[in-house]
Amino acid sequence: MSNEAVLHAHEAAVHQVHGDHHEHHHHETFITKYVFSMDHKMIAKQFLITGMVWAVLGGLMSVLFRIQLGYPDAHFPWLQDILGKWWVQDGRITPQAYYALVTTHGTVLVFFVLTAGLSGTFANFLIPLQVGARDMASPFMNMLSYWFFFTASLVMLSSMFVETGPFSGGWTAYPPLSALGDASPGSKTGMDLWLIAMALFVISSLLGGLNYIATVLNMRTKGMSMTRMPLTIWALFFTAVLGVLSFPVLFSGFILLIFDRNFGTSFYLSDIFVNGVGALPNEGGSAILYQHLFWFLGHPEVYIILLPAMGMVSEILSTNARKPIFGYMAMIGSLFAIAVLAFLVWAHHMFVTGLNPFLGSIFVLLTLLIAVPSAIKVFNWLTTIWRGNIRFTPGMLFAIGFVSLFISGGLTGIWLGNSALDIHLHDTYFVIAHFHIVMGVASMFGMFAGIYHWFPKMYGRYLNNTLAYIHFWVTIAGAYMIFWPMHYEGLAGMPRRYYDYSIWESFKQFADLNRFISTIAIIVFATQLLFLFNFFYSIFKGRKVTQQNPWNSNTLEWTTPIRPGHGNWPGEIPEVHRWAYDYGKDGRDFIPQTEPIGADESHH
Amino acid sequence: MEHTSQAAHLENHGEGKKEIWRVTIILSVLTVIELALGFWMMGIENPSTRTAIKGVIIILMLAKAFYIVGYFMHLKHEIRNMIMTIVVPLLLFVWFITAFLYDGNSFRHLRNTYDPFKKERSEMKVEKKAESNEAKPEMKKAVE
Amino acid sequence: MSTTTTATTKLWGGGKSPFNVEYGKLMMWYFLMSDAFTFGAFLISYGTIRFSSNGWPDPNKVFSSYPGMPEGSHAPLVFVSIMTFILILSSVTMVLAVHAGHKMDKKGVVMNLIFTILGGLAFLSCQAWEWTHLHHEGAWWGMNPFLNADGTQSSTNFTNYFFTITGFHGFHVFSGVIINIIMLIMTLNDVFEKRGHYLMIEKAGLYWHFVDLVWVFVFTCFYLI
Repeated sequence: MSNEAVLHAHEAAVHQVHGDHHEHHHHETFITKYVFSMDHKMIAKQFLITGMVWAVLGGLMSVLFRIQLGYPDAHFPWLQDILGKWWVQDGRITPQAYYALVTTHGTVLVFFVLTAGLSGTFANFLIPLQVGARDMASPFMNMLSYWFFFTASLVMLSSMFVETGPFSGGWTAYPPLSALGDASPGSKTGMDLWLIAMALFVISSLLGGLNYIATVLNMRTKGMSMTRMPLTIWALFFTAVLGVLSFPVLFSGFILLIFDRNFGTSFYLSDIFVNGVGALPNEGGSAILYQHLFWFLGHPEVYIILLPAMGMVSEILSTNARKPIFGYMAMIGSLFAIAVLAFLVWAHHMFVTGLNPFLGSIFVLLTLLIAVPSAIKVFNWLTTIWRGNIRFTPGMLFAIGFVSLFISGGLTGIWLGNSALDIHLHDTYFVIAHFHIVMGVASMFGMFAGIYHWFPKMYGRYLNNTLAYIHFWVTIAGAYMIFWPMHYEGLAGMPRRYYDYSIWESFKQFADLNRFISTIAIIVFATQLLFLFNFFYSIFKGRKVTQQNPWNSNTLEWTTPIRPGHGNWPGEIPEVHRWAYDYGKDGRDFIPQTEPIGADESHH
Repeated sequence: MEHTSQAAHLENHGEGKKEIWRVTIILSVLTVIELALGFWMMGIENPSTRTAIKGVIIILMLAKAFYIVGYFMHLKHEIRNMIMTIVVPLLLFVWFITAFLYDGNSFRHLRNTYDPFKKERSEMKVEKKAESNEAKPEMKKAVE
Repeated sequence: MSTTTTATTKLWGGGKSPFNVEYGKLMMWYFLMSDAFTFGAFLISYGTIRFSSNGWPDPNKVFSSYPGMPEGSHAPLVFVSIMTFILILSSVTMVLAVHAGHKMDKKGVVMNLIFTILGGLAFLSCQAWEWTHLHHEGAWWGMNPFLNADGTQSSTNFTNYFFTITGFHGFHVFSGVIINIIMLIMTLNDVFEKRGHYLMIEKAGLYWHFVDLVWVFVFTCFYLI
């Protein structure tokens, strides 16, 4: 191929973005600026706010089913007035509604909040700013990515209002429950809408992911070699790679599921008898096949959720400890190792499904290997803040909270990764506790850390610190109080997804504990509303940012104006001369990436 | 690395069309061999010979894939690092395929062991249809 | 070429593409990677189900017809070989179109694109005929008239997978034809001539070759083994 043509094409593209920028300030209507925006910063905010709406809805669902679990005998007639008869009867959440709530809570938080809301927001916001690009490689595809997500959101939301209710077979949507409309009311229209929403979501994440990869590889500014990139970008890059390679497998699995639901195939079905319908003709399929396909995405998915948080936490810890990140290359290496291992361990979710035990033992080995890169990262974070000159900004607190939660939740992962122990622990509250701490709450903490840290860049104002501290302390204490006791319940054998434990002799003893957990959950949820108030209030009324670089940070986003326009830098894109972590070097507090290496500078 | 990529570009400019025709011929020959093997396999009953032929066909398939990706899609003439970003992730397929097929095989064993009724039924010949679908006495018990 | 020397020394230094390709081509490649995982997941599922079944129909008994074949005869592999060669040849014309694009040879691009489109349409027609033929024999999603190779009852998954996967591939061929038609119109309107390069044709070409590549796998998995 002709090199010249490519180089010229690339130059032309750069010029175009450049030219775009200079001519951009006039004619921007409300629609092009806030709705169908192609500015990566605006798209990031759209992802963030849509994600927040979903977080509130998903959180509210958890409050509702925690009410059922904590107060199984109480009646709340006012709930019926709000939600209607399908959801609440005699003041109690109906069993059907309970399963719908659990399912939708899981789907929404895993995909819409912690995938789209987290990596959608921060990949969009940070990649161009931190690698020194005017925008994403393809701003148009970036916009499409958001609007596909938005459409998926609408479809998912509409499934809440259909007559038979939203899908209620668990967020993993295992067949046969998800494949047979006759199996339960929630498997009818609700499931069709669920599948459509998820298919749209896969397209959205694919469009986004391809863009992130192309931007990181191709659009780095002069001097920004791969090993000078902040760890945020590395993490977001691997996140995108994980998504691009694993979501298509889920997509295939869903297509087969759609055929099973609507066109009489038996990919996942065999030997089934449905009450009221009789024996089904389907033969030869395998429900475990779906689980394989689902978890081939599902496991990378938990790293899609976790890696962005890890990257942002690395950046925030280093900045606020005023110390270089410890073991930069080891951090990249362990991110890479996690990304690779993510694809090799999926069947550890399936130890008790009838998976071949020998195959299971290999999955145990591969699963336990994840402990190595995870431990490397944890020790590197700890050594980064060790004897640092720590500034306890809200972002920093949440970053430290992330490390704490990652350790607590990660250790129980070692238990669950053993197939023998998993026979006892599978589908108990131990699993709930494990993945909520390590994936759910930890990633939420990473997200909060990111929001508190980059809010000044997003809106040119600060969030209120007092509210932020209240938010942090209540949330971390609450997170542990909610999920720590669940470990004990799980060890005692209490299964997940049951509607009412008070009728079980073995689990009656946990009635008080369940009430305690539910109460804390409501308090923590209320505290998140405080954060929301802080967020929206501060967008308009927060203290204004007056310095270009409020955190004295090294990375490129702080070399832009306080409120950067489309194109990010008014003049030339700065050139990069060093890595992002020159804190406390040669007697200087920090040296931005744009500063050339001095003649007598020491090596890091 | 610098050397090879440069060389590749130069070479490519020189060869161009000739290379396209060469690859076309290779692909056609490979396909013809595959088809020949397919025809040959029809007359063979020995299961291990059949498996061996299937293995050869799969290797030929991979060779075809190599020529399409390498030459038609031009990957071979890209910079080495780009080749790696595309080839290395494909290695994930190794474990993807191994684990899935191994477990598929395991389902069959499980079903045959714990569902004797089903196993028995799966060994019953469908008489009526077998006749109308051409008599096939030569296919008495082809084992998987 | 003099730029290459300086370019390769600091490929990863930022300010340029480390692979010397524009972002669109890079995105196309990685999209194809992800699509390879879609097809891979389909074919691996098919393999898993086949491995979990005690018997499987013999493809040579099922796919043994071609249009206008004399009644009662039996011609396995014939029709599908024609389909395979059509797709390979359309791939060749696509490479030639890309090649002509590099030389800024508009006429060559137009001619070869037309051949490619015709090849794609021919392939789709063949597939349409085969589907109709199988449907007349009683095969469809959820319906399998064929017996296992050993004469035992077959599950419907043979036809389920056949129609789903060849259908998904056919959908890709169809969208490839559409893309190529758009490319043809753009070429005829001198869009690329004005742009100064035919890189779009190259990206469309990547997609088209990928479709051919998938067929190599589908062909092997369903018709040969």
